[in-house]
Amino acid sequence: MSYERYLDGDPVIITAALTGGVHGKEANPNVPETPAEIAAAAQACEAAGASVVHLHARRPNGERAFSRERFQELTTAVRDATDLVIQHSTGGTGAPDDLRHEPLRTDPAPDMASLDMGPLNRYDHLTSENTRALVGSLAAEMRERGIKPEMELFNSGHITEARRLVEQDVLEPPYYGTLIFGGGTLTRPTPGNFLASIHDLPDETLFNTLGFGPHQLPFAAMGIVFGGHVRVGLEDNVYLRRGEKAESNAQLVERAATLAETLERPVATPDEAREILGL
Amino acid sequence: MTCPLLEYRRDGGDHSFETARAYCTATETFVEPMRADICNDRYDLHHAEDCEIYESHASEASE
Ligand code: SF4
Repeated sequence: MSYERYLDGDPVIITAALTGGVHGKEANPNVPETPAEIAAAAQACEAAGASVVHLHARRPNGERAFSRERFQELTTAVRDATDLVIQHSTGGTGAPDDLRHEPLRTDPAPDMASLDMGPLNRYDHLTSENTRALVGSLAAEMRERGIKPEMELFNSGHITEARRLVEQDVLEPPYYGTLIFGGGTLTRPTPGNFLASIHDLPDETLFNTLGFGPHQLPFAAMGIVFGGHVRVGLEDNVYLRRGEKAESNAQLVERAATLAETLERPVATPDEAREILGL
Repeated sequence: MTCPLLEYRRDGGDHSFETARAYCTATETFVEPMRADICNDRYDLHHAEDCEIYESHASEASE
C-alpha cells in the first residue's frame, strides 16, 4: 500500500509549520511571529519546496491569538505573498471552544484546517481536551465552508477516533491525517510505532509525518520512504542539528526537499498538492 | 488577576526584544507564549492552579 506510492514516485507534499503557539522567539529568535514575518517566511519556504503552509496567529508580543481578525490579517498577508495551500490551525490548549472555530471564519476560508482528534497533555496541569463534541462541530463547520480537515493524530487512540469519523461519513475522501510522534501523550517515536500507525489508518487516508524536536528529520525520512508526506518547521523543532539552532523555516524545508529528491520522490508543487489532496 | 511573579520586559538574560514580552521572575526567563496565557489568567486558566512553577515557588516561600 503506502510503500507502493514510494515505488511509483508519487510527489511528496511538504507542509511548513512556521510558528505555532507554544514557543516563540524566546526559544529561537528566528521564529516568525508577526503577519509580515510569517508571510516572508512562507514565501521563502515556497521557494525551498513547501506546498502547504500551516498557520497560527499571534499577538504583537508573540502570545497566542485565535480571533478571526488576527487570522484574517495573517492569511491575507500569506495569500498575497505566495501560492501555497493555506492551512489554519484550530488548536488551542486552554482556549474556549467558541474561539477554536474562529480560524475557520476568514474570507476566503482557508483551503485546509487542522482538526486535533482527541486529548493531549501540556505542562503539569493542562489538557487540551478536544472533546468529541468539539471535534464534531469543527468538522461540521469545515464541511459547510469547503475546508479540508487535516486530522492531527497525536496517538493511536486518535486513529481510532479518525476511523469513527470515517465510518460516520463525517469526512470526505481522500482523508488526510498527520501522524505525530514525540513525548508526553504523543505516540512514542519509534519505527515500530510508525509502521503500526500507518497500517492502522482508515482506507483512502493519505498521511503526513511529523516528528517533534530531534525526531523531525528521521520521521520525515520514514514518511518519504513509506509513501507519506512530511511536515517540518520551527513550530515543531527549533534546531537544524544537535546543538545548532535553525536559521529559518526555509532551511528545514530545503533539507526535507533534498531528502525527498535523494530518495527519488519528486517534491509536489502547490498545484500538485491541491490535486493530491482533492482540493 | 495575573500572576504576581509576571513582568513584561524587553530585555532579560541573553534576550532582547522589540516588544515587551512575558517574563517570569521566579525562573528569570522569558515565558513561552502558551504558558503566558496561564500567567495572565486568560480564559479559564489560573496561575495558582495551572502553573507548576508558581506552585513550587509558593510552597518554597511558605517553608
Ligand atoms: S510562569 Fe508561572 S510562576 Fe512564572 S509568571 Fe507565569 S504563572 Fe507565574
